Amino acid sequence: MASEDENEDDYLSMAFGDATAPAKETSLQRTTRLKKEAAERGRVPSKKELAQQAKATREAALATQLDSSNKGAKMMAKMGFKGGALGKADNARTQPIEILMKDDKGGIGMDSEKKRKIREAAAELEGQHKRRKVDEEEYRQRTRDEREERKAEGQMWSAMRTFESFDTDGVDANGEEHHDADIATPQDSSEARPLHSVNILWRPLAKQRLDKERERRMRYDLDQSLTQRAEYEDPDADPDDKIVLGTGVEELDEEDPELVEFESLKPAERLKKILEELRQKYHYCFWCKFRYHDETMEDCPGLTEDEHG
Amino acid sequence: MAEEQQRSRFKRQKMTGEMDDRKNPYLAHMYDAESSHDSGVSISDGSTSAYTNGRHSNGGGLSSLKRHSTTAKQAKLAEDGPLNPFTGGQLSDRYFSILKTRRDLPVHAQRQEFLDMYQKSQVLVFVGETGSGKTTQIPQFVLFDDLPQQRGKMIACTQPRRVAAMSVAQRVAQEADVQLGEEVGYSIRFEDKTGPKTILKYMTDGMLLREAMNDHDLLRYSTIILDEAHERTLATDILMGLLKEVVQRRPDLKLIIMSATLDAQKFQKYFLSAPLLAVPGRTHPVEIFYTPEPERDYVEAALRTVLQIDATEPEGDILLFLTGEEEIEDACRKISLEADEMVREADAGPIKVYPLYGTLPPAQQQRIFDPAPPPFKPGGRPGRKCIVSTNIAETSLTIDGIVYVVDPGFSKQKVYNPRIRVESLLVSPISKASAQQRAGRAGRTRPGKCFRLYTEGAFKKELIDQSYPEILRSNLASTVLELKKLGIDDLVHFDLMDPPAPETLMRALEELNYLACLDDEGELTALGKLASDFPLDPALAVMLISSPEFYCSNEILSLTALLSVPQVFVRPASARKRADEMKDMFAHQDGDHLTMLNVYHAFRGPSAQENPKQWCHDHFLSYRALQQADNVRMQLKRIMEREEVELVSTPFEDKKYYENIRRALVAGFFMQVAKKDSSGKQYITVKDNQSVLLHPSTVLGQDSEWVVYNEFVLTSKNYIRTVTAVKPEWLLDIAPGYYDVDSFGKGDIKTSLQRVRDKVNRRAAIAGGR
Repeated sequence: MASEDENEDDYLSMAFGDATAPAKETSLQRTTRLKKEAAERGRVPSKKELAQQAKATREAALATQLDSSNKGAKMMAKMGFKGGALGKADNARTQPIEILMKDDKGGIGMDSEKKRKIREAAAELEGQHKRRKVDEEEYRQRTRDEREERKAEGQMWSAMRTFESFDTDGVDANGEEHHDADIATPQDSSEARPLHSVNILWRPLAKQRLDKERERRMRYDLDQSLTQRAEYEDPDADPDDKIVLGTGVEELDEEDPELVEFESLKPAERLKKILEELRQKYHYCFWCKFRYHDETMEDCPGLTEDEHG
Repeated sequence: MAEEQQRSRFKRQKMTGEMDDRKNPYLAHMYDAESSHDSGVSISDGSTSAYTNGRHSNGGGLSSLKRHSTTAKQAKLAEDGPLNPFTGGQLSDRYFSILKTRRDLPVHAQRQEFLDMYQKSQVLVFVGETGSGKTTQIPQFVLFDDLPQQRGKMIACTQPRRVAAMSVAQRVAQEADVQLGEEVGYSIRFEDKTGPKTILKYMTDGMLLREAMNDHDLLRYSTIILDEAHERTLATDILMGLLKEVVQRRPDLKLIIMSATLDAQKFQKYFLSAPLLAVPGRTHPVEIFYTPEPERDYVEAALRTVLQIDATEPEGDILLFLTGEEEIEDACRKISLEADEMVREADAGPIKVYPLYGTLPPAQQQRIFDPAPPPFKPGGRPGRKCIVSTNIAETSLTIDGIVYVVDPGFSKQKVYNPRIRVESLLVSPISKASAQQRAGRAGRTRPGKCFRLYTEGAFKKELIDQSYPEILRSNLASTVLELKKLGIDDLVHFDLMDPPAPETLMRALEELNYLACLDDEGELTALGKLASDFPLDPALAVMLISSPEFYCSNEILSLTALLSVPQVFVRPASARKRADEMKDMFAHQDGDHLTMLNVYHAFRGPSAQENPKQWCHDHFLSYRALQQADNVRMQLKRIMEREEVELVSTPFEDKKYYENIRRALVAGFFMQVAKKDSSGKQYITVKDNQSVLLHPSTVLGQDSEWVVYNEFVLTSKNYIRTVTAVKPEWLLDIAPGYYDVDSFGKGDIKTSLQRVRDKVNRRAAIAGGR
């Protein structure tokens, strides 16, 4: 009955176009809303949810004081109760004793020990927060640096590709053709040459390509057969066996101190090295995207991107 | 000087003979049959004549004594016989042997001091630790000085527990060499063992309160002793409030407050600086150990500690405090198993493990007094016993031989919250006072050790100083009814030692108003007056009084009796399935109340009465509880007859037989109703809107939309226990004041009730139009 009354109220208020009412609901919207609500009502809550709900309603009720509308309160008022405590004793209680539910076997002090730990953890977290706030400026600086570094790294790879194309002579006038070249496209020359003989300035590129190719091959081999391929790694075989059997892929695991040293530099520095070498060797400016005729490179504003505006 | 000497002599006394159960006042009831036989034995052997020989002169009479100016010496003389100062009969030899042990009790040394203070002041606070002999001796000291028989009065001594009142009366009757129920008697709910000659009456505090309802000034008593006042039961607290007023109206009444703990200043202050007398108990030092870290699992830690004591500590019995029957039985099993292993592997001594809790049958309770088992072989490691107990071993029972106490710091305590109207037993931390009391149990025989399974910091910070008195943890509906009957009109300003929260009184008044026991002004109604004549909760009393209207007062009388005694169904852990099958035989589809009634009817049937004990055992029923129910029923029936409440039944063949009973149930319990919620999995309590589940023990199927329940139990889940299906029409019909639909908050319950109301109205209209 009650719900029907409410619906009627709603209907009336809509009919008269109450100015304060929210935008009208179309019949379609209404149907979906009702459907949604019905589904929500019809959903059977799990036992855990029910227990949680029961606990929540219990705690809410326990925290709510009986008010003056209570019949007993009215009777007490007639007896002369004006609030406060009952009786004549000092410090008599005004609130019922709290109900504390114990739902585990934790000993005395265990709960507060747990709470203390949580509190400590929270305090620590807060401390971190504060420290971070103090270092806000530093944080901004760091993100800026990180952004720069990521940018430099992208440019570095790009410059390497340009360098490679010059070195391998597969270059046209603008030196741009390899920018979006498939990384898996085998470059005969670099494939044939051992990695350590490749120019250090674009050796990472060659190595990366080699790694990818090897991975692809391994996946392919795995698909073909597990055991009949030479590359199959027998888990029982030790490294010596592998050497004897010739199944190890030794080249990639080889140490390359030069490469390690190069890669330990920051991307911006590596970029700078590549660009310098490009200018020196090929009179090419990465920023102008132009190969000059001589080492003076007259029209180029300079080495850095900033100089190119 | 003489006193001083006596006292020092007593200190050197060894506690020989204390291990004899026969001398333990708490066990006196167990030797009932024997003692009545014994008391008939005449003085015949030599040792007795040695006693009587010196007493040929007539110094023992009481007639020469002047009331309130006697001395310990005079009393002693009177006690020495040869004739019984109260009956004039010949004193038995047992009397004299008991007299000897009585004079070794700590209180005896201070008899004169006690008399001096008793004579001087109207109110006296007496502190004596358990074992000091205060419960048995002080009332007798008073008897010899107050001489109530001269003025046709009595001395009352209250006890918080029925069993204690019975046992102590039994013991004191032996000590005074009189028949129990004659000069010395007891009065407990549903049992009165006193007679016209009674001058000393042990009684539960609740009984004295009931007497005060009809005798506001307690005129029949010349001295009232409130024993075990430190336990702060509801009735003791109310009595203190009442007697504080009565002593002002009656200057001839003397009042003694006896407490076992040293926080007696609170009593002194409450009774306007009454003097205090303290008698030291016989205690030895107890060394206390704490754990370095809080325990993750107190039961597990307790078991570990007990086993460690067994393996490493010298001879002495162990007392472990746990919280409830199930926990205790489980712990006993585990300790026995582990200990057996230790015996095999580590050559430990034998160990006997005994459980102890209130609902344990007396015969099994008694086993805790068995001596510890002897060593396996002569000269082997001595055996010990381990008692795993609830807090009844904390103050009410004294077990000698305990040297080690293990205290996890918890007990099951009653809690009541007026906001959701739930009264339940919850496992809660004990108080510092309880912890000290527990530790003290280790020092009864010799220096002992107490292992507290919590840190010293937790003891100081987490435990409250004193346990909350019962009045703060109880529903006060029946108390308020009693107070009204006691003539206390200003409930708001009634001077209680610890007044409860105002909301508790609010709820009690509200409940009584809905039950029509109090009117809107808070005055007793005729129904309220009648209800207060029954020693029952108001809801039960109202149900019983209104049952003739439903033509089933015989049945409701049985049901009321059944609801007033402990659980009739027994469900031992070892035979749960069998027990459940047996219960199903009695099951009534409409609910637990009707099922209990079926049990009672079967119990009273001819085939069961052939051998009721065996029958109960076979059907997994508690013979004790059913017997008790029988007794309660008889007592209530007597009150009904006196108050002219008709005893009627609907013929069993009538199809309304059970329906009438269910309707009568509603007349008392309409405030304890729950309705199934839309999910169909749980119920919502009416008005308080708490989500509850049917207790797993119920016989009721899940398809009852509305139920009345007897109990709201709080555990990790909210349960309602002992439930019966009802119809919503009955609620509106029988309790229209409570089911005033318009006053309900929005929700499923209101909607349903409105629908029912409309249906009823429609039917009435159709009927009217015809």
